Amino acid sequence: MAQGTGRGESLSIWFFVGGLTLLYGVVLLPYGAWAWFGQHEAQTVLHHLHPTFWWGLLLTVFGGFYTFRFRPRSGKIS
Amino acid sequence: MIPSPHVDGMAAFLMPHQLTHLAPVDILILVLYFVVVIFIGFYVKGSTNTSEEFFLAGREMSAWIAGLSFVSANLGSLELMGWAGAAYQYGMLAMHWYWIGAIPAMLFLGIVMMPFYYISKTHSVPGYLQLRFGEGARGLSAASFGLMTILMSGVNMYAMALVMKVVLGWNISFSIWVGAVTVAVYVMLGGLKSAIINEVLQFVLIWAGAALIPILGLVEAGGWTNLKAQIARNVGSNDYTHLWTTLGHFRDNPMGVHWTGIVFGLGFVISFGYWTTDFLVVQRVLSANNLRAAKLAPVIGAAFKMAVPFIVIVPGLLALAVLKNPDGSILHLVGENAVNATHPYSYNEVLPLMLIRYCGPGLLGLGITALVAGFMSGMAGNVSAFSTVWTYDIYGAFINKKASDKHYVAMGRWSTVIGMLVSIATAYLVANAASIMDYVQSLFSFFIAPLFGTVVLGMLWKRATKAGGFWGLLVGTASSIGMWVYTLRGGSAALSRIALSADAKPMAETLYRALWSWIICVVVTVVVSYMTKPVAIEQLAGLVYGATPIPDDGATSLWQKPIFWAIVVIVVFFILNIVFF
Repeated sequence: MAQGTGRGESLSIWFFVGGLTLLYGVVLLPYGAWAWFGQHEAQTVLHHLHPTFWWGLLLTVFGGFYTFRFRPRSGKIS
Repeated sequence: MIPSPHVDGMAAFLMPHQLTHLAPVDILILVLYFVVVIFIGFYVKGSTNTSEEFFLAGREMSAWIAGLSFVSANLGSLELMGWAGAAYQYGMLAMHWYWIGAIPAMLFLGIVMMPFYYISKTHSVPGYLQLRFGEGARGLSAASFGLMTILMSGVNMYAMALVMKVVLGWNISFSIWVGAVTVAVYVMLGGLKSAIINEVLQFVLIWAGAALIPILGLVEAGGWTNLKAQIARNVGSNDYTHLWTTLGHFRDNPMGVHWTGIVFGLGFVISFGYWTTDFLVVQRVLSANNLRAAKLAPVIGAAFKMAVPFIVIVPGLLALAVLKNPDGSILHLVGENAVNATHPYSYNEVLPLMLIRYCGPGLLGLGITALVAGFMSGMAGNVSAFSTVWTYDIYGAFINKKASDKHYVAMGRWSTVIGMLVSIATAYLVANAASIMDYVQSLFSFFIAPLFGTVVLGMLWKRATKAGGFWGLLVGTASSIGMWVYTLRGGSAALSRIALSADAKPMAETLYRALWSWIICVVVTVVVSYMTKPVAIEQLAGLVYGATPIPDDGATSLWQKPIFWAIVVIVVFFILNIVFF
């Protein structure tokens, strides 16, 4: 259901939430992988834990789930 | 906004140096946010044609969305940065503004007050006052609220520009205009609906951008127990990690407050005043699609509110333990006036400092985007609430009563633009006279406490009359302003009289001033009401407890009942207070 975005609209608010976090995950995950495996990590505290990669992965999974779960479907207009 | 002990000075963000710079990947993340925000404005424009749609988002929001938006409208960046600094300065006492200073009031709004707001079908809090107490109370409340929200929007705008300047070196005017134009476009196009969608996005973004700081910080500190031990060692006291044990006397804690001020001044008057009568937050709940959603939304908001200290207070506490100078000695953050070559950073820089400590390119961009989102959403919240109150409670009530619905929507869009221009002017005014921000922030505290007295008596006491409501609100507000001026001129001697202790500090004055002004409002309302003719009971239907059959909210099982979840939240609230006692 297009929850909350209004009459005649097909995109759910959760789709926007998922879409934006997925976009960020898609940016951060490869960047974090490049920094990790290419030895380009910025010298922040605990950088050896590769936070950019893991946070990017988390955002990709979270965003991907929400984007898929609340994706616009034909005939599903609230 | 609930007054912060820390953001009470525009000097708050007058940091003399640039902390960091953005990499291309950070800029990409920031640009993506702006693109999505503008897209949302254009996307929802098609469904905001009537006033109900433009000003109340068509009253079709689910409990979750209204609840997240409700809590997010209060989660501005000024608050995030200010309270992180307050946690560094005062320790866990700052947590009270998130727990006792919010949770009981939010639950009270949902369970007790929301049915009246909702079934009266009012468009605004001043609108409720008009139904209950007449045009005088409405006019007074609408004028003060409209003025305050638009000024606060300007303060938010300037604060964002200043933070961007000192953290990233951006030009002040560039930040003001980019932020203002973006917010004006998406609120003008999509009204409250657009603002709400962006607030939900902002809530997620703030967690995505800020949650890594406490997570990595706790890893670095070696867990909560080790963190407490390190703080005790660094500051030479165990007091920074307790909520209540230091509140026995004003002089026993760095905030200079007493538990009575926290419980009655903050936990009762200020908190209930802000969360139950400030239209900026109440408007979000009024957008709910049915009574059950309207009751449940503040309960959901309260549950999330309890978690916010993790990303605000914990970073401030972590800074007490982990921030070090290059030579390994403890890095002491100081007040703005004490910043010098030896102590180059102030409390207010805690959050950016911790962000830079743990977040490299990419994550830094996410953190900065979260701050920008918080500022912009704060502006949007103020401007959308202003536009509603202006159109319904000032323009529609006193200037043009019989215009068409289409005309009011157009007025809503235009008032958004004009409100934003006034905000920009305020931002430049604050830029040229920093002390104005202190006054603007104080102004909000003048109205909140007495307004709560008026609204709560209006809802719960049938005998309250129109004259009682109006004079109670007026005298309560005037007394609050009077006490503020008295303290401003009388200094510490005046402060000690207002807060009842020579050891009290300015925060205590704020708490007790709210308490006294609320009591004055209630006393005047009661006395005047008994001196005037009662309102006929049939005129109170839908407005007052005892004169209104509360409709069934449609819950069919325990899990659907708002009261059940409110009990769950309040139990967790008590457990947290006991754990961190």
